Amino acid sequence: MSFELTIEPLGQCIEVEDEQTILDAALRAGVWLPHACCHGLCATCKITVLEGEVEHGEASSFALMDFERDEGKALACCARLQSDVVIEAEIDAEPDAEIIPVRDFDGSVQHIEALTPSIKGVVIELDEPMHFQAGQYINLEIAGEACSRAFSIANAPADGRRIELNIRRVPGGVGTGWVHERLALGDRVRLSGPYGCFFVRKSLPEPVIFMAGGSGLSSPRAMIFDLLAKHDTRLMTLVYGQRTRAELYYHEEFLALAAAHPNFRYVPTLSDEAVESDWNGLRAYVHEAAQAHFGGDFRGHKAYLCGPPPMIDACITTLMRGRLFENDIYTEKFFSAADAQQVRSPLFKRI
Amino acid sequence: MDMQATKKKLNLKEKYRAMTRDLDWNPSYQKLEDIYPYASYEGVKIHDWEKWEDPFRLTMDAYWKYQAEKERKLYAIIDAYAQNNGHLNVTDARYLNAIKILLTGVTPLEYMAHRGFAHAGRQFPGAGPRVACLMQSLDEIRHAQTQIHSLSNYNKFYNGFHEFTHMFERVWFLSVSRSFFDDAVSAGPFEFIVSIGFSFEYVLTNLLFVPFVSGAAYNGDMGTMTFGFSAQSDEARHMTLGLEAIKFILEQDPANVPIVQRWIDKWTWRGYRVLTLVAMMMDYMLPKRIMSWKEAWEVYFEENGGALFKDLARYGIRPPKWLDQIAQDKDHISHQAWCTFYNYALAANFHTWIPSEEEMDWLARKYPNSFDKYYRPRLEYWREQAAQGNRFYNKTLPMLCQTCQIPMLFTEPGDPTKICYREADYKGEKYHFCSDGCKEIFENEPEKYIQAWLPVHQVYQGNCFPEGTDPTAEGFDPLAAVLRYYHLESGRDNLDFEGSEDQRNFAAWRGQATTNA
Ligand SMILES: Cc1cc2nc3c(=O)[nH]c(=O)nc-3n(C[C@H](O)[C@H](O)[C@H](O)COP(=O)(O)OP(=O)(O)OC[C@H]3O[C@@H](n4cnc5c(N)ncnc54)[C@H](O)[C@@H]3O)c2cc1C
Ligand code: FES
Ligand SMILES: [Fe+2]
Ligand SMILES: [Fe+2]
Repeated sequence: MSFELTIEPLGQCIEVEDEQTILDAALRAGVWLPHACCHGLCATCKITVLEGEVEHGEASSFALMDFERDEGKALACCARLQSDVVIEAEIDAEPDAEIIPVRDFDGSVQHIEALTPSIKGVVIELDEPMHFQAGQYINLEIAGEACSRAFSIANAPADGRRIELNIRRVPGGVGTGWVHERLALGDRVRLSGPYGCFFVRKSLPEPVIFMAGGSGLSSPRAMIFDLLAKHDTRLMTLVYGQRTRAELYYHEEFLALAAAHPNFRYVPTLSDEAVESDWNGLRAYVHEAAQAHFGGDFRGHKAYLCGPPPMIDACITTLMRGRLFENDIYTEKFFSAADAQQVRSPLFKRI
Repeated sequence: MDMQATKKKLNLKEKYRAMTRDLDWNPSYQKLEDIYPYASYEGVKIHDWEKWEDPFRLTMDAYWKYQAEKERKLYAIIDAYAQNNGHLNVTDARYLNAIKILLTGVTPLEYMAHRGFAHAGRQFPGAGPRVACLMQSLDEIRHAQTQIHSLSNYNKFYNGFHEFTHMFERVWFLSVSRSFFDDAVSAGPFEFIVSIGFSFEYVLTNLLFVPFVSGAAYNGDMGTMTFGFSAQSDEARHMTLGLEAIKFILEQDPANVPIVQRWIDKWTWRGYRVLTLVAMMMDYMLPKRIMSWKEAWEVYFEENGGALFKDLARYGIRPPKWLDQIAQDKDHISHQAWCTFYNYALAANFHTWIPSEEEMDWLARKYPNSFDKYYRPRLEYWREQAAQGNRFYNKTLPMLCQTCQIPMLFTEPGDPTKICYREADYKGEKYHFCSDGCKEIFENEPEKYIQAWLPVHQVYQGNCFPEGTDPTAEGFDPLAAVLRYYHLESGRDNLDFEGSEDQRNFAAWRGQATTNA
């Protein structure tokens, strides 16, 4: 049994399992709530329950006073839902976020192609359109496995019926293995979405830098197409890296885009291309390429990072050394089971 | 006409802003430099105070309400504890000596923190940090008061708790924690917030609080434990302030990075030195142990701190200096400190003892690389000597480190059998240090540290005798005079636990409370 939790001021709605705390559910859904001790002592995670019932669990009577309980306060790290609940938390509302409820969608596979030896492009035609923001992701149900996997949408929203995914095969991976070996043209699929808060903050005027590696190109590709389709004139730079030329999918497409749009710069880079090949672009990791392209100074930009966690980590370090900090950096980490459970310090909230 | 008033309710952030920063104004007839005279001499460059993100959003009206209820609860428990003679429920009367250290060595620091934050809260040109520091300043005075009240109950029954403020300013080993905080509050506002707000509250506070608070819980001391919980509910606010301060300073200007780095090096080392007292308390003074000092260091510093310094590396900050030495020292400092106090038990306000066989076995298990090899033989030898009537009390005074003011009791990195001495010359005088860390800290600011009030020097200069003492008089006993100056009663407040009045009283009262005799 599970209840629904709405988090104000974001208006975001998430599912919470029976034994799950509000904090755990929110963090897992990608909503950052303030927290520190995680066991009811420090009161960092205090929230207001606007509607519904919660159970306070092991909340300390010093961290959550009796009068606060009466006033509808709760500690997110201990509180469990007894009904559907609406809370207000100390988080900043995102003026550019659209509040789109997550729903299930059915569709059929319209196109499959091998973009690289390990990445497949899958196009799904939904029966009904899905409204989403460029950069968000969906959860694709893996037939016969009773599980789903997260993949970012690689195309701009347009009419909402077309969902393009770029799916990299994880060796031994259940879900990505199924996509690569079993999924065929015309198959019926089910997915839920849209998820995530990785979207372009259009209300902020600064020029943007996209940094993408591996299959992490998907979100930036959607974002760039969306901005250009809406005639956005800000300067945007895509720093895009793969290991070899054979893996540099959509390269021609971006070259053409850069030629057609003076405000779009394209910086491709390869980290493991054979020395004797005819590639005459950069040979470096994404963060090194960005460092070189911007001369190590990123001030005055907004950066959007998407890809495997080690790449994101390296890019954040490079950006911060170039004096672009947390408030100007947005990330989507392509977490998999392998990356969960790392010790983190509370120095940074979002990155 | 009926107008719909659609005034949107302010969210927490807006409310906080309205009640704090929006109360600030731009001065028109005084210059900013004159209003905030300490804001620039440390070399920290701030370009935009508006970038300060309020780390928590608590307005004054809400603050009073919270703290008032915390007080109500805490005092209800302290009263009940006092009425039910809760002090007789502690595991063993030796435990009392751990809280003597807490009251005399730590409680005054809460008060110093109160003063330091009040000062910083006045001196920062940004309204955000001013309000945050002011609130912490109020928290700290509450901590000082409630700690004193929690512990005052023990003062009714046991020795060594009396006149802790008098002792704090005089007793030799208390100058260690006192000089640490003096150093911080006499620095500029930026160094203060990095030293106390960040290095101490964030990096080291768990190592101070967990041992005392869990130590209290493990040893049946509900009063101190409840105080601990009540203070811990403020601690998160303090840590977030420290983190925000360091991020803000580092992001404002690249020139701030090396300045902050030096402060992190300095204050981690200074804080670590002060924690020697806690290390000894954990390993030797708690009848029921929580974990060893070494384990606590590994969990709270090496693991948690490791994750933090990995994140700070992004700003170009490296982990604090001398960590390699600290890593070696963790096998030794608690033993070396206890051995020193065992020697100088004549001049302390608490009792010492030789650990029992069972306790020595515990120490040997927790310190397989050091205890049996270096410290057990020493302790056994002293036990033997005491049994033969030769209990040795050291009556000469030790050389102190000019920076941390700890006696020269630490050993050379890599050689636990050799005392570590360092020295530096400054303006024709020689200064002595316990370590490379303390020496370097001195060399960065010699003018500050040559002013240090070193208890041993002061005794030798004749400044630590009660007024009217004549040191030239026939049969003058300098140590007795120093103890009178400290307000310590020899034979009662000091010496071994075995045979002490505390031991006798506790046994008698507990006997009355638990038997019909
Ligand atoms: C928000 C989000 C968006 C994403 N978008 C995309 C996208 O657009 N395209 C895309 O290709 N992927 C994307 N991913 C990553 C994708 O979800 C994972 O690769 C996928 O869940 C792996 O599922 P699986 O069933 O194949 O592997 P599993 O069966 O879950 O894992 C198989 C084994 O491999 C290990 N493993 C899994 N992943 C890795 C890894 N990366 N490195 C090393 N070992 C691993 C696991 O620990 C396990 O032992 C996204 C992830 C997130 C969180
Ligand atoms: S995170 Fe500390 S009380 Fe919830
Ligand atoms: Fe405090
Ligand atoms: Fe020292």
